[in-house]
Amino acid sequence: MDKEILLVEDNPDDVELTRIAFKEAKVANQLVVASDGAEALDYLFARGRYADRNPDDLPSIVLLDLNLPKVDGREVLQAIRANEKTRSLPVVVLTTSTEPFDVEASYALGVNSYIQKPVDFERFVWAVQQVGLYWLVLNHPREGGT
Amino acid sequence: MPDPTGSPSPAGPTAELQAELAACRAALEALRAEQAVFAHGISHDLRAPLRSIDSFVGLLARNQSLDDAAREQLERVRAASQRAGSLIEGLLELSRANRTELAPAAVDLGLLAELQLAALQDAEPAIVLDAAVAPGLLAHGDERLLRQLVAALLDNAWKFSRASGRVSVRIEGAREGDRLRVSVRDHGCGFDMRYAAKLYAPFQRLHGPEQGAGHGLGLAVAQRIAERHGGRITADSAPGEGATFHLDLPAADADAGRSDG
Repeated sequence: MDKEILLVEDNPDDVELTRIAFKEAKVANQLVVASDGAEALDYLFARGRYADRNPDDLPSIVLLDLNLPKVDGREVLQAIRANEKTRSLPVVVLTTSTEPFDVEASYALGVNSYIQKPVDFERFVWAVQQVGLYWLVLNHPREGGT
Repeated sequence: MPDPTGSPSPAGPTAELQAELAACRAALEALRAEQAVFAHGISHDLRAPLRSIDSFVGLLARNQSLDDAAREQLERVRAASQRAGSLIEGLLELSRANRTELAPAAVDLGLLAELQLAALQDAEPAIVLDAAVAPGLLAHGDERLLRQLVAALLDNAWKFSRASGRVSVRIEGAREGDRLRVSVRDHGCGFDMRYAAKLYAPFQRLHGPEQGAGHGLGLAVAQRIAERHGGRITADSAPGEGATFHLDLPAADADAGRSDG
């Protein structure tokens, strides 16, 4: 079975749109949704309500919004890169902000890619399709991470 | 600020002025930081609901069972959300133009113009573009901001010419001492010089949307960028006879473009 995609997103509209976009882009991987940064980290490190998850079972990719309740996207990214297990996990920031400050901060923290959610839905589907094609099909992940 | 102890400071008024200056600087810095927070809030929080409106309306519009009236109304909702989106974009550009730290270097304005014209032509291939861009227009400034400035001027030329199916732009210029003076001339619908003072004020428009007017921030951004470079934009025009925008910026060092041969 295909590995999961972890979507870290607090806006339910965006979750729904991403779901529809993946479906239209024919990306079959299951979408796991964490609605804040703390939940995302619990999921990745198999803690809290995800304590019974296998911590070696990592998603194929993390789609990360930046503005999140509790633990924000930058802190999530920092925690992912600081942990031996998740260090090389592909993380794509998918956000509404194009502030140069956000873009620079994300790359400084080791994000793999930074994508601004296009306002236009057809372009959003296209963007999600490209993400799926690149990270789930073309890209060869580092061995031993799973 | 008066000395709280009431005693004259030993260094006299200079020290007082310096303290006042420091206080002003701190206040300015706080204001800048607040503006950055606002811009970030607008960028993220205001755009997100718009994206929802636009996307779900778009999904609704795919529904085959809608009649023409419903489809037209959805199209109106969508057009309105896109207008709001471009307004947010414009406000962010204005805010960035105000607070971005300048990273000055030699910038080829002609090259920036060619790039923007190519992008505009790409978006509307049916329009006939007749462009002449003089070589060697080297300004000393921040490339990202100057690209925005040039883009705003050319977007304008394009918007107000495209109705005829033909856009004609002449970009010329010369170095005068340590200044670079560039003119951007179009043959679009032009404007009445009586309203010239309104050109650079945010949200002031001299044309209706049917003539191609946008969010009313493009020239405000361009002027702000020119001013931050110690320069300015002026314009002359007559209705129906096109417009010419004159740009005054610091010139790059004479030898900056030498590698171009």
